Amino acid sequence: MLKAENIVSYRQYLFALMITWALVIILIIRFFQIQILGYARYTQKAETNRIRKVTATAPRGLILDRKGKILVDNSPTYVLTAIPGELKNKKQKFQFISRIIGLDSVKVLENYKKYYRGKFTPTRLAKDLTFNQISRLEENKINLEGIYYEQFPERYFPSKVNASHILGYVKEIDNATLNTLKDKSNYELGDMIGWNGLEQQYELFLKGVRGIYFYEVDAFGREVGHVDELDPQNPEPGNNIVTTLDMDIQYHLESLMKDKKGVIIVGKPRTGEILAAISAPDFKPDLFTGLMLEEEWKTVLYDPDKPLINRMVQGLYPPGSIVKMITAITLLENSEFDPNKTQVCEGHYQFGDRLFGCWWDEGHGEMDLTAAMLNSCDVYFYKNISLIGFDNLSASFKSFGFGVPTNIDISGEAIGIVPSISFMNKRYGRYGWSKGAMLNICIGQGELLVTPIQVFNYINLIASRGKAGLPHLVMTNNKMPNIQKNVKPEFWDKIINDMSEVIYNTNGTGKNADPGISGLNVFGKTGTAENPHGNTHAWFVGWAEYNEEQYSMVILLENAGSGGSVAAPMAREILKSIFNDIQVAKND
Amino acid sequence: MINISLSHLKEIPPRIIWSVLFLTGIGLIVLRSISQHNFGGLFQNPFTKQLIFLGPGLCLAIIILFIPRYTIHKYSYLLYSIGILLVLLPFLGDPHAGTYRWLNIGLPFSIQPSEFAKVFTTIALARYLSDYNIEMKQFSAIILPILLVLLPTAVVINQPDLGTAIIMMTPGLAMLYWSGARPFYLFLLLAPLMSMLTAFHNIAFTLWVFVLGLSIYIAHTRRFIALSLFFGNIFLGLFSPFLWNSLTLYQQNRILTFINPEKDPLGVAYQIIQSKTAIGSGGILGKGWGEGTQTHLKFLPVQESDFILSVMGEELGFITVSFVLIVFGFLIMQIIKHSYLSKDRFSSLALIGFATIFMSHVFVNTAMTVGLIPVKGLPFPFISAGGSFLITSYIMIGLILKLSVNYSD
Repeated sequence: MLKAENIVSYRQYLFALMITWALVIILIIRFFQIQILGYARYTQKAETNRIRKVTATAPRGLILDRKGKILVDNSPTYVLTAIPGELKNKKQKFQFISRIIGLDSVKVLENYKKYYRGKFTPTRLAKDLTFNQISRLEENKINLEGIYYEQFPERYFPSKVNASHILGYVKEIDNATLNTLKDKSNYELGDMIGWNGLEQQYELFLKGVRGIYFYEVDAFGREVGHVDELDPQNPEPGNNIVTTLDMDIQYHLESLMKDKKGVIIVGKPRTGEILAAISAPDFKPDLFTGLMLEEEWKTVLYDPDKPLINRMVQGLYPPGSIVKMITAITLLENSEFDPNKTQVCEGHYQFGDRLFGCWWDEGHGEMDLTAAMLNSCDVYFYKNISLIGFDNLSASFKSFGFGVPTNIDISGEAIGIVPSISFMNKRYGRYGWSKGAMLNICIGQGELLVTPIQVFNYINLIASRGKAGLPHLVMTNNKMPNIQKNVKPEFWDKIINDMSEVIYNTNGTGKNADPGISGLNVFGKTGTAENPHGNTHAWFVGWAEYNEEQYSMVILLENAGSGGSVAAPMAREILKSIFNDIQVAKND
Repeated sequence: MINISLSHLKEIPPRIIWSVLFLTGIGLIVLRSISQHNFGGLFQNPFTKQLIFLGPGLCLAIIILFIPRYTIHKYSYLLYSIGILLVLLPFLGDPHAGTYRWLNIGLPFSIQPSEFAKVFTTIALARYLSDYNIEMKQFSAIILPILLVLLPTAVVINQPDLGTAIIMMTPGLAMLYWSGARPFYLFLLLAPLMSMLTAFHNIAFTLWVFVLGLSIYIAHTRRFIALSLFFGNIFLGLFSPFLWNSLTLYQQNRILTFINPEKDPLGVAYQIIQSKTAIGSGGILGKGWGEGTQTHLKFLPVQESDFILSVMGEELGFITVSFVLIVFGFLIMQIIKHSYLSKDRFSSLALIGFATIFMSHVFVNTAMTVGLIPVKGLPFPFISAGGSFLITSYIMIGLILKLSVNYSD
């Protein structure tokens, strides 16, 4: 087919050449028009007037508590910039600046190099300048040719609470992060980006749209006027977010956890709203703003208690006896199990060649399910656990949300471990473990590891009889889908009744949690978890009901002792403060 | 076989080679100027980026010289299919800056498959039009080749990349004209678009109506058809502003974003003012290499590609820019000449197709730089820094040199 002959005529050829040269000539005429005829005009424009594009950082949205109190605000600070192309006697000017703002001139030069992007692009020299410092620089403007400043909203925390792990922080975006973003257009070097917590999770929502202004400036950098052909674009502030947090409860939790290690979460079971949560030790939320001293930052960073870790979602803990409700429900669902049949606790139990002890060495004596729950007797569960299979138990744990993420709106969530047969085989080899491992797991020890937020979701599931909302921190109109746990109503009744016994029975391990407020019903379970890091972790999980209103809570105190003696009294303090407030409010 | 090929290398047109080398050279000089203050990596620095891309570009051009002409002809439909697959590939991944234009294959840069598809479409169309000795005087005869072009264009429009889609269609028009289609039919294809676009500008619309009437008059069509074409177009033109105004602001914005997805109108206006100021202040001889205060305004985000001519205009002046444009015209003229002199129709059609691709890039890029047209810029061949288009340009030059040599193999 290549034999097909060329049939282009000379006329077509000439026409093509004509079009080509016509286009080239149109372009050359246009260049002639701009460069020769317009030379004087454009030269004047280029030399005496320069359009400067100034961007204004949009303030991020505010973060509010559920009653509208401000948790995170913005305060105006100033950023000092230089236009490299207009900057002469750089060293001298930097020294002058550093004298006024009290920043080492070496540091100023370092910033200058770090932010340099082009000869005529504003390059950041220093940030967090006060109005006072700017005024002093403004007085000396005549000596500071090429130096400019712009307003920059910095995060500011007006409330009395820290809530630092929840709120997260913002950090200056760097090149590496910028390159990982899918949409880079809304960010430029030096912008702030949410780095953790809600600031990170709701970045797209909180981040506003940067404003753009066009100024005509003369050779001295003095503003000559606005540019008419170009419409300015005012910065659009980001959206505010309303959290589920209650600032008063949060403040109370934070004061309770002062100098302690652990987690407390308080929330509403049916909606999954978190009213307050603390991971202790925490840090001041303004740690990451430029206003913080480097020393303070280092103290936090190298603290052996690791305050930067959000224990609420990242901490993995053995749950201990607080998971006995799951074991009990799994037993109740087994037709061979009779909750009224008693077992004798001698303080220990021989299984194969191993001796498994109860936490009460002397033995609890004869126990039915209710007695075993309120005394938190281990041997009762050891003796009954052979009724259910290993994977049956681990499926039960999973159905209450352990071993899977809760999908709370905070990043970095750990998923924990729910051991199953295949997990044990993988870890210890086919014959490297015995069925005795199940005895540990059914009382919340052994390989089982959970996060406090999973425990919160678990207790919400029981309090709401399997219909809890997804744990979340930001208010939403739609109920978010959470796992549903289907259990026969009579089993819920049984378990919930037993949890009431834990608080109100004179032998109940959780009796210290009762604040003794009339009309208030408390349900709970304590846990004392053995762990390889020293003293036992103290747990208390439960909820309180007052006129249909439910408040659930999870208390974990690391290496603090037993749940009944340390965690339960703390629950009482929290309930007192919550319900006193409610009663005061009602009386008003 | 290599011996045979070598003997023919002597016949390769030197004028094309010299023009390309000149354009690449002056491109490097300008890129070096704007790279002075660039401390980025090899691929962020326009000058080194250009050098890095030149290597594979030159190699591919030389390799193509040794591929027999019938092989190119034989595999042209296969290449076309590969081209279509390539432009579809980005849709499988995540959008890149909101578009499916880029293919990320783990290199420090992304690939723009539509650039390669342009070349493959041109070759496939050349083959189709040379394989079938169609009676091009019929309007219906141009429909199938147009579909051949529209298929990749439709994909590219959805990426969305209107600029490349338009460039992809232009060689089709030139090649249809080359194979004997009546220019009037090609004109009719474009007429409705022009009527709608010019309707927003009084003088432009008046001029357009004049051109339209004249063309229809010259074409000697039957009176009824001529009148309906003429008034149909005018009606369409008059109607479109009403149609536009009946849209909500949101819908208008959607369309504007479709036409120009990357930049807000504000950004474009701003860039064109800066570009014109830079070019105008350059004058006859320019401010000197590396002395362009205006084009060193780094907030023109694409000065190493879209606005490279602004840099040249400011620093090297009117004489250099005109010379570069003349060299380009000369290069296109050479390609057209070889297309005319070519013995077989396939080569002739492919050559005119490539010439059109180059010419439309040059025209659209330059016209935007000097504020003649408001659309998004395309790279200027051989001068804009790096990327898929530089490699494509060299592939096309390899093909042009290969097909310009008249011998049978």
